[in-house]
Amino acid sequence: MTDARRNRRPGPGAVLWGSVALFGVLFALLTYQLSIGADPSLSGSTATATGPVQVRKVIKRRIVTTVVPTPGKNSIVSGPASSSSYGAEPVTTSAS
Amino acid sequence: MSEHDITFDAMGSHVRLLIGEPGPEMAPAAEAAEMARRFIFDFDLALSRFKPRSELCAFNEDPRERVPASPLLRRAVKAGLEAAEHSGGLVDPTLLREIEGAGYQSSRAGMTGAPLDEALAEAPPRRAASPSPEQRWRGFEIDEEAGEIVRPPGLRFDTGGTGKGLAADLIAISLRGYSRFIVDCGGDIRIGGADALVHPYEVFVEHPQTGERAHVLRLGSGGVATSGLNVRIWRDADGRFAHHLLDPATGEPAWTGLVGATALGDTAVEAETLSKAALLSGPEGGRRLLADRGGLLVHDGGRIELVGPLAAAPRIRLPQIPTLEGAH
Repeated sequence: MTDARRNRRPGPGAVLWGSVALFGVLFALLTYQLSIGADPSLSGSTATATGPVQVRKVIKRRIVTTVVPTPGKNSIVSGPASSSSYGAEPVTTSAS
Repeated sequence: MSEHDITFDAMGSHVRLLIGEPGPEMAPAAEAAEMARRFIFDFDLALSRFKPRSELCAFNEDPRERVPASPLLRRAVKAGLEAAEHSGGLVDPTLLREIEGAGYQSSRAGMTGAPLDEALAEAPPRRAASPSPEQRWRGFEIDEEAGEIVRPPGLRFDTGGTGKGLAADLIAISLRGYSRFIVDCGGDIRIGGADALVHPYEVFVEHPQTGERAHVLRLGSGGVATSGLNVRIWRDADGRFAHHLLDPATGEPAWTGLVGATALGDTAVEAETLSKAALLSGPEGGRRLLADRGGLLVHDGGRIELVGPLAAAPRIRLPQIPTLEGAH
């Protein structure tokens, strides 16, 4: 029985040619799929070489706070009395 | 960057000038400051009601209906009439008889005011002042061609309501061309110069009851002024508290619920007019008057209320943000 099994094994040449033939078939199949745009590596995705392109942008959100002087009126900013002075000692408006 | 800084006493108040760099072919700041100082003394000599030899006193005593007047007196009368017009008669320049009757006959410069808290406790119920039905100020006319002022003989004019603001504005005219300047005539302030727009001046607002700094304004141009009850306040001959801001309708000191008002304006005269009118109008009317230009009210209890642009939050600009949908 052992001898019979040994006798049913393919020879090295058959294995070699069989492998080459199988490679050729698979290669042809993949080439065909690529040629029709059905790339198997993108399987399951709707995006194809001819489909729409989605552009992703990185958006930085900036909030700019500006006190806008009204034309013809004082340019003014006001704040609490603890602010530091610019230049000389500030003047004071008071009843006189 | 340098500024010439000079302080002196005039017009019954402290005066301070800060003058920056001169423009091409202009006098140095120190020279401009000295000229301004001399102008203020001349201004006071001509327009003080406390100086018997002033042109204003001579004008008020003149028995003629048409009185020749210098350009400065005509300008001062014009400013007083404009203030009356703009305030609807609340800032009335013809209350000289009433203010003297209340006990304000001579300068109170350097005198300490009576305690404001005591005065408020004894003061009558609060109510807004209103214009005099007589509107005597409408009796004044200025004839620029003839160089005369026309008014019913005996009707006297008081430049006190607008004098300091006018002095600040007139000096500001002479300082045009300097990089920056501030003219402070007893708290009535005018600011100018291109550099001041970039680096605004800080102006502290004094609290009339505590004397502390109640607020700070950063101003690049225009005027700011404060009216309050805390400085010129006294007991009259009857022992009642009196002050210099009169209700034109009654001729009596006005107790309106406000002890101070600070106003902004294009000019110091405008700011001075608005601050006086706001104080005389009381909280509700004052709020309305200051709503456009901005200001600050100090209530009897000491509460500070910012009004108009000062009370508004800074404007916030958000940039246009593109959406993913818009990027397709």
